[in-house]
Amino acid sequence: MTFILRMAYRELRASWRRLIFFFCCVAIGVGGIVALRSLVQNVRTALATEARGLTAGDIYVRTDQPWSDGVQGRIRERAAEVPGAELTETVDTVTMARLPADVGTRTKVVEVRGVEPAFPFYGRFTLESGAAYSSALLRDGGVLVGRELLPQLGVAVGDRILIGDETFTIRDAIVTEPGRQLGGFSLGPRVLVAHDALARTGLIEFGSRAERQLLLRVPEEEAIEPLVRLLREDLQEAFVRIGSYRRTENRIERNFSRAENYLSLIGFVIVILGGIGVWSVTRVFVQQRLRSAAILKCLGATTADVLAVYVVQVALLGLGGALLGVGVAWAVLAAVPESLASQAAATTGFQVVSTALTLSAVLQGLAVGLLVSLLFALVPLLDTRHAKPLLLLRQGDALGALPPDRVRIAATILVGLGLVGVAAWQAASLEVGAYVAGGFIGVAGALHVLGRTLVRMTRPLETARWFPLRHAALNLRRPGNQTRVVLLAVGLGSFFIIGVHAVQANLLASFSLELRDDMPDMFLIDVQQDQADGVTRVLRDAGLGGPGGVGAPELIPVLRARVTAVTGPVTSIEGRRAVRRAGFGREYTVTYRDRLEDNERIVAGAFWDASPASFPEVSIEDSLMERGMRLGDTVRFDVLGRIVEARVTSVREVDWDDSRSGGFMFLFSPGTFDGAPHSYISFLRGPVEPDARGALQRTLVDRYPNVSVIDGLEIIRTFRRVLDYVTLAVTVVGAIALLAGGLILVGSVAMTKFQRLFDAAVFKTLGANTRLIAVMYVFEYGVLGTLAGLVGSVGALALTWVLTRQVLDVPWTPAPAVNIGGVLVTAVVVLVVGVASSVDVLRRKPLLTLRAE
Amino acid sequence: MKPMIELRGVSKTVQSGDRALTILHPLDLSVPAGQSLSIVGPSGSGKSTLLGLIAGLDTPSTGRILIGGTDITTLDEDALARLRGARIGFVFQFFHLIPSLTALENVMVPLEIAGVANAVHRARGLLADVGLTDRGHHYPSQLSGGEQQRVAIARALANDPPILLADEPTGNLDSTNGRHVIDLLVDINRKRDTTLMLVTHDRELAGCTDVTLSMRDGRTERAESPHAVLEPAGAAAL
Repeated sequence: MTFILRMAYRELRASWRRLIFFFCCVAIGVGGIVALRSLVQNVRTALATEARGLTAGDIYVRTDQPWSDGVQGRIRERAAEVPGAELTETVDTVTMARLPADVGTRTKVVEVRGVEPAFPFYGRFTLESGAAYSSALLRDGGVLVGRELLPQLGVAVGDRILIGDETFTIRDAIVTEPGRQLGGFSLGPRVLVAHDALARTGLIEFGSRAERQLLLRVPEEEAIEPLVRLLREDLQEAFVRIGSYRRTENRIERNFSRAENYLSLIGFVIVILGGIGVWSVTRVFVQQRLRSAAILKCLGATTADVLAVYVVQVALLGLGGALLGVGVAWAVLAAVPESLASQAAATTGFQVVSTALTLSAVLQGLAVGLLVSLLFALVPLLDTRHAKPLLLLRQGDALGALPPDRVRIAATILVGLGLVGVAAWQAASLEVGAYVAGGFIGVAGALHVLGRTLVRMTRPLETARWFPLRHAALNLRRPGNQTRVVLLAVGLGSFFIIGVHAVQANLLASFSLELRDDMPDMFLIDVQQDQADGVTRVLRDAGLGGPGGVGAPELIPVLRARVTAVTGPVTSIEGRRAVRRAGFGREYTVTYRDRLEDNERIVAGAFWDASPASFPEVSIEDSLMERGMRLGDTVRFDVLGRIVEARVTSVREVDWDDSRSGGFMFLFSPGTFDGAPHSYISFLRGPVEPDARGALQRTLVDRYPNVSVIDGLEIIRTFRRVLDYVTLAVTVVGAIALLAGGLILVGSVAMTKFQRLFDAAVFKTLGANTRLIAVMYVFEYGVLGTLAGLVGSVGALALTWVLTRQVLDVPWTPAPAVNIGGVLVTAVVVLVVGVASSVDVLRRKPLLTLRAE
Repeated sequence: MKPMIELRGVSKTVQSGDRALTILHPLDLSVPAGQSLSIVGPSGSGKSTLLGLIAGLDTPSTGRILIGGTDITTLDEDALARLRGARIGFVFQFFHLIPSLTALENVMVPLEIAGVANAVHRARGLLADVGLTDRGHHYPSQLSGGEQQRVAIARALANDPPILLADEPTGNLDSTNGRHVIDLLVDINRKRDTTLMLVTHDRELAGCTDVTLSMRDGRTERAESPHAVLEPAGAAAL
């Protein structure tokens, strides 16, 4: 053992410089894993300890319907049974905030929350002024607003804004707030008002979109879960959601674990790239060390001893690379700027998120780095078994290509399984691990085959008459060349980058397509029955037609309904739990009419005709069939407290891409809701000019404060911003992959430097000058880079096609600029890196090299 | 005298394209312990093949090779490696020092493989024996050819093997360095009573051994025995 360790150390002392590039790849991947895991674990810890603050209470009961006396009464009774329990109510709704007429014309969709003085039971507000939060701030028409609203409306603290029928004064701006759902989709900035003030705005009318919440504080921790159980039993038939802060805690735990594991897979993919580098270097390294291995055998070392010497070297280098990765992670997290930390604090609502590395992330990173290095090095290292001492009697003899033997095949299978194992471990799921490892092997395999084909296509260049070009082409196929591995690594990097940019280009193109002239870009919601005529008049006065550009904009009557039972010859879904389990638990927005829209088609049954039916009829969207609803079933609905039963008489297919007429899961026959209160929505194409758009929004909200006017263009802008972030994130991953590819390239040049030095020395002796050899390298790396770019680009084209057509369901349009640009950039990067790494070869005096040989 | 090296009907045939090529015809040979023997002959006569077979670096096509009474043709790779480590020292024409190790470390390697305690001390002594006391920390690339070969000889002697095999040990050296190496090998053979067997083109070197065996086209031609200690194994052999 001493011999093995000593030999490993001595060999490393001589070879680490040549191997360092490859283990840098391991370091980058391990750094990614450790940094991402540590960060997510830190945020998770911070959030989990503040879960009460996120919920703002111990127990919550939420509903999107007005409280019925029975439900609220029951909750209050149960709370009263627990000594010291307290209760407070909040109401959330989406509406428009606007400036008083004498101040300006701007409007903005906001999320208003009405709170009672006791709110919040836990957690604390951070206000921009630094003052402590007190419910007194909301008294007498006071309002706190999310700080992003101030520039959006062009107002400052102390200014007035209008919400509904009420005028409020901005008392401060909210930086962080308790009780805000994490990561939830937000339609606009938060506006906090007093509960009773919200009631005065006129926004919370019957049928309005609002979420009501009762928060409970229970002094005894042990009393929380029993109370939740009791409430769930009591209210199992009511449309309420009940949970404790622990549920939030668990949800955070679950979501963050998932995020942590998926993010780690990104690091894993980079480690795998490093692994490919390790495989490549080990292959060349073993070739260069066969003579040393033969000498050792000649001096009495067994095959196992020799193998062990090299395995220990790889393990030490792998560990070194992994430790370097931990160092990189530490440096990256330590360098996280204050601004980013405070942005994270603003997003999560917590000021202190540690940027320290966590022990478990460090250990996992080290283990993954070591494992991947050993796995990838194993197969090439097995070649040392074939280092015959007889080799030493024949100067110049080398080991040729070896046919795969049983041990090699078994080791290759072991490596494959090992990779699946490591991926499964990182993703905490065998299935995901298998998919990721399988997907990676599939993509790498496809790119590899593509690379080989492209290299074969360069064969005609080998007979080119121009010396540098001919030798550049020959170099690509020289014995022990690194062409395939560089093509794979660099090709994968450019594949990621070109792919994601091409997908982004396609998505943006498809949005532009959807924004064609006849598509709506403005949505009105919560138009009350008595406002319908007035709103239509405002729209007409603004010169707007319907989505088709002709006629009046259509107001579509909508009601909000919940399924409470589905019964039929084979269907029997009754009770709230059963309904929820069947997948019908959510609240549906429904409508009624006597005709089909252009984007609808009957696929089963028959649509009702004009003649009055004896029984209400409903037409369902075809995806509901998958959840067990059948033609002929009777569906019972709760429509704002009123029970309506309807028979399924037809099934529709809806083209959701065509948003001109919206889309509804349930469409009722006319007359079903006669006399029931309902509101209207409208999809329309707003004025093109920003001023005219603003004026229309302003007019509508001024006259009908409860109506929300959602600007589709703003949503698309937000979406585009999100898409930009996602693209940036994937580009960073691709850039890291490309960096790993670049390192492998530099390493490949270093590894094959001896051969190149000798070749260059012979060329120089035979009369070639440095410039000629440099031109040869320029061609070699230029061709290699172009091929790698083509590998990435062709792969990206395939990826874009699959993603757009099969997953995103948008039309595929080629993005030639992205693809051609990608090929050019990759070619230039490889050329520069390759030639720069060969400067030493160009400068070396030939005699030195030839003497050494 | 009990033979240290004994070959019985040893031959070597390799496949060259689609025909078999015999590079060593069946041969019997017996070398007693402590004897020195040189094998001479033109290139391609089978000298190095014979030496390689005796060192267990290659497997004969027929016959048996006994080293100190052990039939090495029945041993697997690892057992052969152990046997070499303990009983055979080998010196190559191209030195074959491990380039990443210093001279001292190169000499230490066989000692460490054998698990010898205080390998450094013994390796230093061996380097002193070959006149390289001050060159221990130098890498092979920093040594002259003659110095490299002396390090290789010190390495070959590390475990005090009863047999020393040398494949053209002066073939890559100038005459001065070659002379130095010859003296060293002869001295070792005499002082340590090591069985020495070497392949050489160097008549001067061959003249220093007890027996000279000539080879041509894979066959032994004649044996000259200036010191008359040769013990041929079987009448047909020599």
